[in-house]
Amino acid sequence: MAKIIGGLGTSHVPSIGAALDKGLRDTPDWKPFFDGYEVGKQWMRDAKPDIAVVVFNDHGNTFFLDRVPTFAVGVAETYNPVDEGWGPRAIPAFEGAVDFSWHFVDKLVERHFDPMVCREIEVDHGLQVPMELFFGRPEAWPVKVLPIWVNTIQYPIPTPQRCWDMGTVLREAIESWPGDERVVILGTGGLSHQLQGARAGFINQAADRAWLDGIANNPEPYRAMSREDYVEQFGSEGAELIMWLVMRAAMNSDVNLIHKHYHAPASMTGAGMVVLENAA
Amino acid sequence: MSEVAATIPDTPLFDRAGSIRGYRINKMAMALGQPANRAAFKADEEAYLDSFGLSAHEKSAVMGRDWHEMVRLGGNLFFILKISAVDPTPITRIGAAQASMEHEDFLHLRLGKKRNG
Repeated sequence: MAKIIGGLGTSHVPSIGAALDKGLRDTPDWKPFFDGYEVGKQWMRDAKPDIAVVVFNDHGNTFFLDRVPTFAVGVAETYNPVDEGWGPRAIPAFEGAVDFSWHFVDKLVERHFDPMVCREIEVDHGLQVPMELFFGRPEAWPVKVLPIWVNTIQYPIPTPQRCWDMGTVLREAIESWPGDERVVILGTGGLSHQLQGARAGFINQAADRAWLDGIANNPEPYRAMSREDYVEQFGSEGAELIMWLVMRAAMNSDVNLIHKHYHAPASMTGAGMVVLENAA
Repeated sequence: MSEVAATIPDTPLFDRAGSIRGYRINKMAMALGQPANRAAFKADEEAYLDSFGLSAHEKSAVMGRDWHEMVRLGGNLFFILKISAVDPTPITRIGAAQASMEHEDFLHLRLGKKRNG
């Protein structure tokens, strides 16, 4: 069976990619943010995964409102970065873990999930930025990817419990896969931010810091929280944090919090990262 | 869900009503992901907006870069950000406009950045 070697959580703010593109990494605004990810990059170098499962949401770049899948799974051979309006970015395309992705789709449907299955599709910053944060800017990405899209844009978005349930199926898929690949799972999005309405700019540093510890050591309350609770505590777009639950549910109940990092604001967002490993 | 969440102050969620109301604006903005459409938008903004059937009110909100009004009309920020990419307008200015704050005040009071100088 394949092996889960770690669960990572991270923000995926588009300005992070833009800052790298513009060479702003070491400016006063960005240096503390990027410096905190160095331990995560080192962890990734040491961990040597073969496959990265990336749980993220599209931001009106790949999916328009004509069709909004609550959950979508990629089974493509290649995922190109999408033009989000700023022009193409100079980062490599992502190679898909095709067979493993189909296996995950099989498991999902067997367990009564009904994902959209995507054979040809591009990926936006929701996948790009987490990969850049943990793998840097290689000539080619050292892992194959399994993208999972979660609708967090148009209501109704899925419940936190549903995201959790998907994580348990993800674990089952990994453990029932006949290959011996080393799999890392990235739950992405958040932390607190709100882009729309008069409360725009809302950041809740206390809730964000509690999240980074809580998602590791006591995730139960976050699974049980309502979507309204997420919006209230983390802002309308901060509700993206439900996607970390997919990652967390795939891990053991007991995990070790290997690294964490928090920085606010990154653009308009409280930005954070965790690296989790299953406890023995 | 949306009825309940709508009680969180100053926090519009992009629900059924917003999605229906803002469909044309969002479709127009989504298309700016294509370079040819960005060129058309830059060349003749009003003609570009007309080609997506925007109402006079919607057109004036877009052409006046009235971000607050675009959101009120059902524009979702992730789509209308593509308008800001053409300009370009920093996202924090869009945030400040919605919060009805000066940009510097918004950076300081909402995002917690130190004031310049």
